[in-house]
Amino acid sequence: MTSLWTGITGAAAAFDRWVRDPIDPRPLAWFRSWLGLLSLVNLWLLWPDMPMWLGNDGVLPPAVHRELMGDTRISVYMITGSSDAAIGLIRGLGLAGGLGLWLGIFPRCAAFCAWLAAVSYAYRNMDILHSGDNLIRIGTFFLIFARTDGVFSLPREVQRRFFPQTGPDADAHSGVVPAWPQRILQLQLCILYLAAGIWKATGPTWRNGTAVGLVLQLGEFQRFPVPDFFLTPVMSQLMTYGTLAFELGFPVLIWIPNLRLPVLLAGLAFHAGLDWVMNVQMFQWLITAYYLLWLKPASSSPASSAPRSDPACSVRPAR
Amino acid sequence: MKKHRPHTAPLPRPRDRWQSILQRWPTVLVAGYSLAAFSWTMPGSLFPPKPIIDQVTGGPLLLLGLWQAWDMFSPDPRTTDICVEMRCTNRDGTSDRRMLSDMVAMGFYERWQKDRWRKYFNDHLRLDDERVLWQPFAEYAVRRLREEGEDPVLIELVRWWRPCEPGIRPELRADVRMTPWQSYVFHRWGVPREWGR
Repeated sequence: MTSLWTGITGAAAAFDRWVRDPIDPRPLAWFRSWLGLLSLVNLWLLWPDMPMWLGNDGVLPPAVHRELMGDTRISVYMITGSSDAAIGLIRGLGLAGGLGLWLGIFPRCAAFCAWLAAVSYAYRNMDILHSGDNLIRIGTFFLIFARTDGVFSLPREVQRRFFPQTGPDADAHSGVVPAWPQRILQLQLCILYLAAGIWKATGPTWRNGTAVGLVLQLGEFQRFPVPDFFLTPVMSQLMTYGTLAFELGFPVLIWIPNLRLPVLLAGLAFHAGLDWVMNVQMFQWLITAYYLLWLKPASSSPASSAPRSDPACSVRPAR
Repeated sequence: MKKHRPHTAPLPRPRDRWQSILQRWPTVLVAGYSLAAFSWTMPGSLFPPKPIIDQVTGGPLLLLGLWQAWDMFSPDPRTTDICVEMRCTNRDGTSDRRMLSDMVAMGFYERWQKDRWRKYFNDHLRLDDERVLWQPFAEYAVRRLREEGEDPVLIELVRWWRPCEPGIRPELRADVRMTPWQSYVFHRWGVPREWGR
């Protein structure tokens, strides 16, 4: 009993350190930048159909929307009411947010804008959402709290190249930052794969190995041509069980440092393959942004030994 | 031989304990969010505490846009090809048919850009459970058709489907399979002459 308690407290202490020990901000900044660019592509794809999906004269008039939703959620509609001005606002926020995240211009403010745009169109018409929208909403929400200012940032690069004598010291912002936004997003990726794997494992076609073959034969999802030999029972079994193994294995194997890179590379190959054969808009791209959070920068940050006096960012002195 | 030093540190006072817990808010937040997100995404039958946890955490997740679902093609993928069509009959007797979500017939870019069309029409509008969407869409269609110079008097929404044949073979792929399609008009609206004018 004592050893069990010791194990639990030891695991809790390790988790506490993992969450609170400060980190190099670069993986978060890579994530922010790639997510920002992809959110712009997402906005560009949605843009022409916004009046149809979100407008008062669109497919979902305000009265029907109110009947379906019942509750109020944070969105630009709290300001505009049921006005088509909301569409312009969502476009503006999405554009400013995506650009700001991509280029590192006021990144936390940009994250708020991108998040507000994403929650607003999600609130107005939930029937048009795909899994990639979930990744944008969640990613931008936690980026609001992430300190990536001055890292992987266009204004910073311009300042460094053309005005090296002006502004604050180059390393002032690129030291260590609180880890919790990155940790929460890393765990989010594990939860995503685990949930997807568990749901699939409950289905008979996933257990008998025909699921992927059936999906590849559906017209709805066809994208680029697939070689004929993929559409055989043996290949279907291989791909179905491979999908299950990957989705259930990722949340476990990613924690083993020596396996991390192979797991991430396998994941990239997995999603690249899905993106080739299946038409699911942006999900396969957006999930790669979350992969960046697992990368370790090649060289340590110059200020990585500088602690911050912040409970979210505890640094223990060397003993 | 090493000797363990006796533990002589005093037990933390209640005030210190609270401070220590408060300092650990990031850990509590990360653990709490992870539990909430996991519970939200799990099938109820496999995660018994789901109703209790979702009741507590559902409000904040919905309010902040952090709700999520990762159950695509689960528990099983569909076994029918489907699409939705809108038919219109004009006052002069001419008619027009528009396939709204026939993804195979679209070009590569169009089907990528219109993935949300597939979501809306195939996964929602088509279903009897979502009949509340039918009339608003018919009205939207009339507005658009009038903008294009047509004068519709009848709007019909049609669902098309054909079952996948058992087995997995290259010749059963949707774009080459010869299985016949079936259809059903699931919503019909005679447009009143003065409607929307």
